[in-house]
Amino acid sequence: METRPKMTKYEERSPERVQQRTTVAPRVDVYENANELLLLCDVPGATQESVSIQLDKGLLTIEANRKDEPTGSSLVAEYRPSDYARVFSVPQGIDAAKIDAHLSGGVLRLRLPKSEALKPRRIEVRSQ
Amino acid sequence: MLRQLGDYDGTFSMLEELRRRMDRMWQDWDADEPGFSTQLSSSQAWPRVNVFDTGTALVLKADIPGVSEKDLQISINQGALSMSGERKSDAPQGYAVHRQERGVVNFSRAFALPVPVDTDKTTATIKDGVLTVTLAKAPEAQPRKIGVVAR
Repeated sequence: METRPKMTKYEERSPERVQQRTTVAPRVDVYENANELLLLCDVPGATQESVSIQLDKGLLTIEANRKDEPTGSSLVAEYRPSDYARVFSVPQGIDAAKIDAHLSGGVLRLRLPKSEALKPRRIEVRSQ
Repeated sequence: MLRQLGDYDGTFSMLEELRRRMDRMWQDWDADEPGFSTQLSSSQAWPRVNVFDTGTALVLKADIPGVSEKDLQISINQGALSMSGERKSDAPQGYAVHRQERGVVNFSRAFALPVPVDTDKTTATIKDGVLTVTLAKAPEAQPRKIGVVAR
């Protein structure tokens, strides 16, 4: 009687195949104040070099690759380390040159400063 | 005689099919209860873990973005590994919230270890939001090569 599922890895059976990588959408918080939009994004396993952020035609693309982990025989497999990808549409008034990204402890902090035109402005009322 | 056996073939293949189906049923059943048993049903647990057996050690990996080493406790007690901790809120003050998918989590998980481990050689590190716990197997649980002697 077979007690264990077959553990032969796909890569071992056909080493020359093109491997499809799995991608998941990372979890994101979006905050806004008068000066900027702030995105917090969970990308555990991603390194500074592997993250790429792009703003093009009002679309903000966040991508991050994750290295394959060296494995032994698997005892528990509750998740599969995957690459990250997510796209947001952002308002036109974001100053693309001043976008700032910071990665720490698997959390990506992305600051999208608003351009001057979008910021709230106080108009002085004059009386004559 | 041979011909008689041939008559039974249909019955045997039916039994064989039944056996195969039963095996498949047990396989599904076994899949829910791996040797490295976990307390909670794995679909609800946080963080999700992967455990590998590298031969000389057990390696546990878990994605814990935003959890600092100060907020994480790991202990081994009587063949059970437990980890608990907290992922604190990192919501900034004075901002309007548009979307909030990353929650505050208080977590606690325990795992029954399938082999005795050497607690002195156990290490835990967090890198890029990934926790790696390396549990060296106790000397008696290390794989051992048995030399074959030809006489």
